[in-house]
Order: sequence, then structure tokens, then C-alpha cells
Amino acid sequence: MSRDRWSAAGLALLAIVYLVIARRYPLDTLATPGPGVMPLIAGVALFATAISIFIVAITARPARDAGGLSETGAAPTRPIESSRALSSPLVLAAALVLYAALLPRLGFIASSFALVVLGSRLMGARGWWRPVALALGVTVAAHLLFARWLGVPLP
Amino acid sequence: MSELFVALTPANLLACFVGTVLGTIVGVLPGLGPAGAMALVLPLTIKLGPTAGLIMLAGIYYGAMYGGSTTSILVNVPGEAASVVTTIDGYRLARKGRAGAALAIAAIASFFAGTVSVIALQVAAPLVARAALAFGPAEYFAFALLGLVLLANLTGGSRAKSLAMVLVGVMLSTVGMDPLGGTVRFTFDLAGAQGGLSFVAVTTGLFGVAEVLASMTEPAAATPVARVKFRELYPSREELRRSFPPMLRGTVLGFLVGLVPGPAATIASFVSYGIEKKVSRYRRELGTGAIEGVAGPEAANNAAAGGGMIPLLSLGLPFTPSTAVLLSGMLLMSVTPGPFLLRDHPGVFWGVIGSFYVGNVMLLLLNLPLVGVFARVATIPPRYLMPGVLVLCAVAAYSDNNNVFDVWVMIAAGIAGWAMRALDFSPAPLVLGLVLGPVLERSLLQALTIARGEIGGLWASGPAAVMLAAALGALVAPGLTALLRRTATQRA
Repeated sequence: MSRDRWSAAGLALLAIVYLVIARRYPLDTLATPGPGVMPLIAGVALFATAISIFIVAITARPARDAGGLSETGAAPTRPIESSRALSSPLVLAAALVLYAALLPRLGFIASSFALVVLGSRLMGARGWWRPVALALGVTVAAHLLFARWLGVPLP
Repeated sequence: MSELFVALTPANLLACFVGTVLGTIVGVLPGLGPAGAMALVLPLTIKLGPTAGLIMLAGIYYGAMYGGSTTSILVNVPGEAASVVTTIDGYRLARKGRAGAALAIAAIASFFAGTVSVIALQVAAPLVARAALAFGPAEYFAFALLGLVLLANLTGGSRAKSLAMVLVGVMLSTVGMDPLGGTVRFTFDLAGAQGGLSFVAVTTGLFGVAEVLASMTEPAAATPVARVKFRELYPSREELRRSFPPMLRGTVLGFLVGLVPGPAATIASFVSYGIEKKVSRYRRELGTGAIEGVAGPEAANNAAAGGGMIPLLSLGLPFTPSTAVLLSGMLLMSVTPGPFLLRDHPGVFWGVIGSFYVGNVMLLLLNLPLVGVFARVATIPPRYLMPGVLVLCAVAAYSDNNNVFDVWVMIAAGIAGWAMRALDFSPAPLVLGLVLGPVLERSLLQALTIARGEIGGLWASGPAAVMLAAALGALVAPGLTALLRRTATQRA
């Protein structure tokens, strides 16, 4: 599976970057192990695991094709390749990033209101009346429950 | 022991009620699982104080086990992974017009198994806790390591991928102050990362936001829900009689599986179904709508939920995402689970166990009459439900430290979790790596210090050596057998 090859490469890269940064932290001695020991172990172990995923991904392919279903018997993965199917989660992901950026500036109520309206539209709600009503309900309820009653200092 | 009745104060009863109702709803809804839901209500439960807060969290945990079966039977959509097996015979029973009986048997089996496993938990947890008092850092390290390796083996799908997720979780756990104090690591000078990545933020991201994103690529299934009338809920005497042996087998099996790290409830339900297929007198009927296929797995997944509490309550080591959230809830309420929990907070310990009894009764009373209402919850279109989940996730992440940084962490975890799902990586091992990472690190460093730098000190004691050997075996054996099998088939 080429997807597994790519994810293995990504994990290996992650392990390398992590290990490079971890070099800042001293290992010290075995009797007085320093803060660099655990990161070194975890990073090396992830790198080794990534390599093993990579090897399996390149070697297991012919066997799997011949055998039909994969060993786990998992259902074939849904085709998410179609651009329409991928675009709306990506738009929502972008909206979430915007949400976090605007949260300190616009405050909880305004940014959450916008997020819910946009989110329900992206998920297929039609018109404006229902998304707006929903957003109003959710944000006001969350504000009353968390900010007023529980005293969470929402931005 | 008299502290058991702590669960009966009005406030705790209310907490238990709210928890079990929320749990049932979460169990009914496909998508949002118990771990995500528990993380969502953490800010709320912290305000309730340790006993009531933990009772509510625990209520969600086992309430979800109950609710998951409802939609499996009525609409053929499992609300939880642990109820997947129930769809096989449960839905066919519903098609045969025995939906009410299947629901009732599921509720009765859950109640029976839940209650029996709580009794076993009540007996076993203090014993394990007492034994664990002899555990030093080397034993804790070996046990946590064994747990994580077994978890990677049992999570399903690729073992290497699960192991990679455990390791990524451990790596994320090294962000912030190191456990023995002094050095701040991997924070990139971000003030919000100093205390480590917020567990609540990572969990709500991986289990909440990622679910919302994933739900957008799934076609909305508009399934009509069969209405079940109250008087149809009575199973026939024949059905009751046939349910009892599988229920008993499922309970014992589920409890034992619950002690093992991994998605115990899911595994227990599958194993129970497999056992019924082998030993049941009605094994031929399984798969065509046999009541055994509901009674066994439903008992097993509830018993497993009880069994899974033992490592948490008596050792302080969670091995499922849900018990990991319970652990983080306890820590936030400055209750440290582990061998000393019973000594330091007997009210919390017995209160939570007592609430299991109460919760099981509540669930039985709630689920039988209200089953139709809960089933209709499952038909709320995601477009009205999911945006609200996003806002709740944001509130939960923010309120952990009252910090927007944690909202960023949540969103990053959500997007990463969505990508992980698309690439067949499971988020559960990551969460457990994140929780157990500091345990591993602290116990490793302490064990090395105690052994004056002798690596052999890690396996000097008997229990530690056995657990490390088991971990090594679990790590190496599956790979070896696969290799041997492959060379054998190549030769053939």
C-alpha cells in the first residue's frame, strides 16, 4: 500500500526531527539519568517502528493482492479520494484554525456562533434560518452553563 | 465499606443519573464515543468535586456500553465498537419482530454482567492494591511497558501502526517539564506548553473534532427507526432461559478480558460471540437471529468495563482511553488513583464503586421504558449535532487551563486524528502513550537510580523480570511467526 509507505516515511521523519531536538537535553549517566534518556528511547523506537511499517508496506503487497482481503478482515477503506468529499472537511479544518485565531479577539460567543453556522452549512444544512437558530442556541446554552454557572472564564 | 452508601446522597444520585443518561445518549450516537464524551464533560465534573464528578464520569463510561446496543439492534448501526457484534443477531431478531425482546435481553445481560463485575471489582481491587504496595519503580516500569505492548498487539489492525501511535503518544508526553523536575523540553518557548500538552485538549481533538471531520465524508444515513411498544419488551420464557448460560459465560470472560490492556470491551464481545458459536446448544441459529448472540456479547462488554477499572483504581494505570480520561479527571481533582487511593480517599473509592451498583439499576430502569426515545436520538442529523460538539470540545479544551493554547492543541489533534483515521492509524494507543509516558519515564529513571546505574536492576526482581519477558515476547513473537509463515509459503 503506497499510503502506508508515505505514512511510514512521515513517522520516520517525525522521529528524526524529534531526536535532533532531543539532543539538547543531557543524557548524564546511567546512575543519574538525565532528561534526554526517555526522548532518545522513544525517538529511536519510533524510527525503528516506522522502518518496519515501511518494510511491510513494500514486501507484503504481492501476498495481500493474492490473498484478497487483508489479514484483519477490515472492511475496505472508504474512497475519500473524490474532491467533493475531501473539500468540506478541509474547509471546516481551516474554519477551526480561524476560530482559534479569532477566539481571543472576538470572544467566545461571536466566534462560536460563526463556527456553528458555518459548520452546519458545510454539513449540509440548507437555508439560514435553522443554522442561525442552532448557533444561537448552542452558544447561549454553552455560555450560560459554563461561563455563568460553572465560572469558566471563557474569552 | 459503609462508604458504599456515599453513592446514595441526593447530589451523587443526580450525578449518577446525569452521567448514565449522557452515557446512553453517547452510546446511541455513532461517532462520539465514551472517551470523547467524558473528556467533554471534564470541566463540568471538576466543579462537582471528586466523588460526584467521578460518579458522573463513570456513569458515562458504562452508560455508553448500554446505549451502544440499542442502535445495533434497532437500526443495525453500532453506537460503539463494543456493540458491533450485537448487530449480527440483534438486528436479525428485530427483523423477525423480536426487537423488544432483544433490547430487554441486552439490558438484562448488561445489568447482570455489570453487577457481577462490580462485586468482583469490589473484592479484587483492594487485594490488587495491597499487592501493588510491594511494587517499586522497576515493577511499575515493567507493568506499564507490558501494558503498552499488549495494547499495541490487541488494538486491531496493524500491530506496528499501533505501536507507532503508542510511541508518538510517549513522545508527546515528553513535552513540558520532565517528570523528575528541572528541564523544560520541546516547548519551543510557548508558554502554554510549559505544563505539558493538555490531555483533555488532545483527547477532545482526537475523539471529538476528528470524529466531526470524519463524519462529513460519510453519507448521512437516514434510517427509519422501528417503534417498540412497551409491552413488546417482555422476552418469552424460552428466550430468558436460553439467554442465561451465554450471559454467565460472557460475564466471566468479559471480566477477565477487562483486566488485560487493550480495547477490552470490544474484544470481550467478539470473543464471547466466538465462544457461543462453539459451545452453545443453539450454535446453528447464531447469525440468523439467536438471542444468545445478544446476551453473551452484551454481558461480556459490560463485564469488561468493570474489569478495566481494576488496574485503574488499584494501580493507577489506565489501559483504555475511557479509563485514561477517568485518570486525568481524578488527577485534576487531586485524587491519585493507585495503591494508596483506598487509604487516602476511601470515600471516593467506595463512592464510585457504590455508584456502579446504583448506575446499573438506573440504566435498567431508564433503558427499558425509554428505549424508543434513545433510539430516536440516533436519527438526529449530524448537521445539527456535530457543530455543537465542536463548540463543546473547544470549551472543554479551553477550560482545562483557561488558555487558548489548548484550543490550538485540540484543533491540531483533531486534524491529525482525522488524517490518522484516513491512514488506518488508531487514536486510542496514542492517548494511552500520552498518559502512560510519564509513568514509564519516571519509573525507568527512578529504577536506574536505585540500581546505581546497573541496567540489570530493571529485571532484578521476579515480577519485573516476568513482565519484561512477557513484553519482549509479545513484541517479538507475532513478527517471528509472520516471518516464519511467509518463508514457509514462499518455499511451498
